[in-house]
Amino acid sequence: MHLSRTVFAFWAAGLTGHIVLLVVLLTRHRARTFPVFTTLIAANILNSIALYEIALRGSAHTYFIAYFAFASLDLVLQLAVTYELARHVFCPTGTWAPDIRKGFLLLVLTSLAIAFVLACLPSPPEKTILRTLLDRGNLFSSALQCELFVGMIAFSSTANLPWNTHVARIAQGLGFYSLVGLITEAGHNILAGTSIAYQNVTYLRMSTYLLCAGYWIVMLWLPAPAPQELPEEAQRQLFTLQRRVEYDLRKLRALKR
Amino acid sequence: MTIRNLDFFGFLFIFLASILGIGTYYYLRNRRRQLYPYGNWDELLKRLAPLDHQNLERIAADPTALAAQDNHWVETMSPEDIWRLLGGMRGIEVMEKNCSVLVDLVFYVQQWYPEALLIAEQLRLNAREVEWHIGRLKATAKSGRPPAAAAEYLQQAVAIYFQMTREVLALYQQGNLPGLADLQRAL
Repeated sequence: MHLSRTVFAFWAAGLTGHIVLLVVLLTRHRARTFPVFTTLIAANILNSIALYEIALRGSAHTYFIAYFAFASLDLVLQLAVTYELARHVFCPTGTWAPDIRKGFLLLVLTSLAIAFVLACLPSPPEKTILRTLLDRGNLFSSALQCELFVGMIAFSSTANLPWNTHVARIAQGLGFYSLVGLITEAGHNILAGTSIAYQNVTYLRMSTYLLCAGYWIVMLWLPAPAPQELPEEAQRQLFTLQRRVEYDLRKLRALKR
Repeated sequence: MTIRNLDFFGFLFIFLASILGIGTYYYLRNRRRQLYPYGNWDELLKRLAPLDHQNLERIAADPTALAAQDNHWVETMSPEDIWRLLGGMRGIEVMEKNCSVLVDLVFYVQQWYPEALLIAEQLRLNAREVEWHIGRLKATAKSGRPPAAAAEYLQQAVAIYFQMTREVLALYQQGNLPGLADLQRAL
């Protein structure tokens, strides 16, 4: 399979970006905090190398099968990253905030349904089943990610849960990529796979991803703002207040019944 | 372009507009809070509506916590008295709004001092629950049920609300957190 110069340039830039990002994640000790995100980046490196090898030595069909397998893995890992970020925001103490749990579950189910409907709607021109499935799958993934990120922003805002700096940066990158991805995948779903427009739309998606990778490299390299220390007296006060409110609430809950 | 693709673009347009609209609204709301890590006090305090704290203190006085000779007036306080001292429906509405401001105040502590995260998160949940109880009382009162039906429940909710306002004030005082004087005036 022949690779054009543009495709090769995108491939090289993507691989370099991912390697640099992985080095940043490991050397700045972010991998411990974001193990799934680190796995996603490592999987992308493996993906780039494997697909390049197959593109050079394998047939177009083998390449497409491998591409489909990696795209599926990417979808699963991206959803896992979203869950990882949600855990950072909504489980600050290790357990899910009870005022969020039900709402979040509802958000996931609604998002799945809307993304599914959106992905089923376009009627693509003549394409192979695998290609159609891939384009629809990508559209589904982008729509789902967009919905989940917006839902997470809304929930954290109404429940007053703060976003840690690095969590927010990863989410911003993924959210922006999903939003652009939604538009490009809409294009992919209605354009013929061999057209120039289809290719340009792919380049747009790749450029956006490179932009996001650059953003992550810089943001994850920079340290998060140093936390302040709460005076001991205030900490005791906070503890007493919580105990007291909890005790009073128990009485109120009993009255409610 | 087929009819189905036209439908798709219509749906996509609505989807994008909703996502962008909701996302921008909440993102700006979050960002504004981050831009004022010490709280945009003017705005926060504007949200706090005044209540007669002497009356609240009377309702909140826990009979079991008072000395035997002092608790006569509490025991005889009728549901109508509680309702009147609170200021009726307006009082409940004000308490509900102020409660959400208290949740915000806890949020600031949580944001400034991550090491107090565990306890602040517990407190945030408690404050949310108080907010919920008060909301429930409001719904009961709006449904036209007589205040007597929920008098004890109302009294307890007022007691917790009152305690929380006092304790949050004390917390801000102890931690020497900014905006204390304004907060004292507002609460």
